Amino acid sequence: MRVLLFGVIAEKANASEMTISAESTHALKRELESRIDGLDRMTYALAVDRVIAHEDRPLTGTEEIALLPPFAGG
Amino acid sequence: MSEVKTHKRRDIFVEGGIDPAFIAGSIAKHATQSAIGGHEIFLGQVRADPVVTSSEVEKRQQVRSIEYTAYRDMANEQMTVIREEAFARWPITCLHVRHSLGRIAAGQLCFFVFASASHRQAAREAVAYVTDEVKKRLPIFGKEIFAEGGHIWKTNS
Repeated sequence: MRVLLFGVIAEKANASEMTISAESTHALKRELESRIDGLDRMTYALAVDRVIAHEDRPLTGTEEIALLPPFAGG
Repeated sequence: MSEVKTHKRRDIFVEGGIDPAFIAGSIAKHATQSAIGGHEIFLGQVRADPVVTSSEVEKRQQVRSIEYTAYRDMANEQMTVIREEAFARWPITCLHVRHSLGRIAAGQLCFFVFASASHRQAAREAVAYVTDEVKKRLPIFGKEIFAEGGHIWKTNS
């Protein structure tokens, strides 16, 4: 599935998106943390179809995922 | 109260700083809405913050600009929710929000929240609420770029 990266996470990954398969948000986080250096020590939220996922949930592969570092609007 | 309407614009983002002339134009557009008795506006401006970056040697730097990016679709969806909350909570006539994207120099305007109502209190409270909620809930990211080179990532506390 398509994973969008933003802000400091996009900078660390040197990419604005990645394609990764995972069966759940938890598994996806583990995969992303193995691919993006330092992500495991960063504060970030994971959004599934533009809504922040607070708990582990299954993924079908059609979702739009985004990794969101702390917000800084205004 | 009969003039209450919801705002149709879906995208709050503009490339570059917000032109004061645009703000003047926004105010002028309300002249024909005779039920309005008060406007309230919040304007965010990029501040030339002094930042101490700690490494082995303490360095004092100054922010020259902020480069804003956003998860635009999610931000606009969240904005629709916040807008609905504001209209449900206060008797406001209209609400306009703009946020900048791209590199905005210190001194330029980057955030505009504008509410109008029959009476000032509703407009004031709605603007305060929307300003706070946008900062908390919209996925907008800011890279603070120093005059001397280098950057840090801004975070809203």
